[in-house]
Amino acid sequence: MQDLLQLLLNGLSTGAVYALFALGYTLVFSVLGVINFAHGAVFTLGAYFTYFLIGGAAGANGLLAGLQLPFALPFWLALPLAGLGAAAVALLIERTAFAPLRQRSADPLLALITSLGAGVVLVNLIQLLVGAESYAIPTGALAGLPAAVRIGGAQVRSVQLLLLLVAAVLLTLLTLWIDGTRSGKGLRAVSEDPTTARLLGIPSDRMIQIAFGLSGFLAGIAGGLVGLSVSIAGPYFGIGYGLKGLGVLVLGGLGSVPGAVLGGLIIGLAEACVPADLSGYRDVVAYGFLFVVLLVRPQGLLGRVLPSKV
Amino acid sequence: MASQQPPRRLRSLPLALAVVALGGVLASCSTNRGDQQLRLGAGVALTGNGGLLGQDARTGLDLARQQFAGKQPGLELQLEDTGSDEAGATVAFRRLINAKPVAIVGPSFSQQGFAVMPMADRAGIPVIGVSTTAEGIPQIGRFVARVASPVTVIAPRSLAKAVQLNPGIRRVAVFFAQDDVFCTSESQIFQKAIRAKGLELVAVQRTSVSDTDFQIPITNVLRSRPQLVVISALVSDGGNLVRQLRELGYTGPIVAGNGLNTPNIYPVCQRHCDGLMITQAYNPSLDNPSNRSLLAAFRKGRPADAVPPQVTAQAFTAYQVVHEALASLKASLPQGTSLTSLPLGELRQRLLKTLLAGTYQTPLGELRFSPEGEVLQREFSVARVSMNPDGRSGRFVLLP
Repeated sequence: MQDLLQLLLNGLSTGAVYALFALGYTLVFSVLGVINFAHGAVFTLGAYFTYFLIGGAAGANGLLAGLQLPFALPFWLALPLAGLGAAAVALLIERTAFAPLRQRSADPLLALITSLGAGVVLVNLIQLLVGAESYAIPTGALAGLPAAVRIGGAQVRSVQLLLLLVAAVLLTLLTLWIDGTRSGKGLRAVSEDPTTARLLGIPSDRMIQIAFGLSGFLAGIAGGLVGLSVSIAGPYFGIGYGLKGLGVLVLGGLGSVPGAVLGGLIIGLAEACVPADLSGYRDVVAYGFLFVVLLVRPQGLLGRVLPSKV
Repeated sequence: MASQQPPRRLRSLPLALAVVALGGVLASCSTNRGDQQLRLGAGVALTGNGGLLGQDARTGLDLARQQFAGKQPGLELQLEDTGSDEAGATVAFRRLINAKPVAIVGPSFSQQGFAVMPMADRAGIPVIGVSTTAEGIPQIGRFVARVASPVTVIAPRSLAKAVQLNPGIRRVAVFFAQDDVFCTSESQIFQKAIRAKGLELVAVQRTSVSDTDFQIPITNVLRSRPQLVVISALVSDGGNLVRQLRELGYTGPIVAGNGLNTPNIYPVCQRHCDGLMITQAYNPSLDNPSNRSLLAAFRKGRPADAVPPQVTAQAFTAYQVVHEALASLKASLPQGTSLTSLPLGELRQRLLKTLLAGTYQTPLGELRFSPEGEVLQREFSVARVSMNPDGRSGRFVLLP
């Protein structure tokens, strides 16, 4: 029983990170029908923003060597501010990598490449400015919380529980916003059919910007929390999460918010089930599971089959 | 309103600018600088997941370049970023080989070494590994050597020290990054040494160098109640593993491999780095002229007690070895014959022969090479990481 609980906690805590990451992908996909490959870079930026806002200093290997903000915020304040900073960057990406193509009615697939380019530029910019070294949000940032907690004999790090909690809260807020507000419904309308939405007076462009802003905010929050949980392992540390997030997005169903969360938790649990001596093959199990699910249900677990347009 | 076409001249302006820009890019890509100075190529990982290691190596190469500037023979250093994977290393080494260097230093990782050292070997260019410690590196080819002692020599020492300091240890757990050839090779050596000491290997967990969250493998391992944990990983994954091991309640000793042998782990595992035991191929307190000059150069602009990471010392050593071998070769030539007057192929062959035959007083102590290119180093020590109360800085304290 204790082993089962440990497995469940391991899976849920890992899956929460994937879910949080995939939520951002989902928002953009739902309105544009394309994947924003710069999302991983925005996630990474969120982690760096958090680090600098809590008073961290740049290392010795970048153009900003030794730079430190003249103030240091507590983590709980730095995290949402980092989310806002990441949202601003996501909006900038929308303006530079997506909007020009949209205005020229270019094939949406081209946005994959421009977003990939934007992501590569951002990651390299981070490296140029602050070097490739690892940065860590001090382990004492969650003052008052123990490093790990024991639940029914199973053990989990406090920061992992926090991640799970934040993912749950953000999902709830996002669902409430989408279902219960005018702008949320506008977003749904645009994701259903942008042309009709525009004819009905819904400002599609604004909705797309809102989706990018929210997606960036979520990525920033996720980056800050993951940075706290496992340190910021250089400018490339968002890439692994980006790949896993893509898998989660597809498993849950492209464009489905609950699907992103469900997909994240399932992938997390699948990884947790891998036996100890095969632990290095966790990704194989996760993606193998994804492969099998897609063979049976190509639209993902909670995705819809879209009618083909003539 | 009808749109106005810009004048023809202006319409062709973007094309002209593009041509000029392309020309500029091509010119900057050119590697033939037309001078007579000998060129030393260096390919290290400055970007990617392993960028930290390469940055340490670049520091060592820069310090060596400054140290030997003005001393004959003159060497021009051409540094290329290999990235952290084989593809990046291949591109970088191709550029270096085309630049016609007298020798190449690098790459950063054994995994890359197995991919690109054969390229240099086929081109007849001596290639000196800086931090490539996996088994089989010197055996890649005749022109391949290294200044990094092999993992077979290094790994068992820290394990032996941990057991000596904690004689009650019986149950040992091992973590290793299975997707890195060095970590895999090192872990095999560790596991062999564990069995040779009659210890019980209670868990072997495979991880990946790109992993950051180790909740699952750690809780698996802790169920087997290990008294010692041995880790073969790189900086980011290994540092996170150490931190999370401690956060999840493991209090016993931890032995780490060479991949964590750098102060760059401090920001990753922070105060939890404290107590980590790692074998050192570099002893900063070694008292010889070469190490004194390295320390003096490294401390410029840094705290007075700053200590270079091992890879920095190894990169410095690689440069020094090449420079001294060239100087020795120059001295053996007839009066008035310059090194640059020799055909490049012959110069490289003679450099290799001289380099392998020499004895060098380096920051790593006295070094020689086997005829195969394996470094023969005599001085090693085991260090324990001691973190300062701020949890962000620390030092490697050599154990007696």
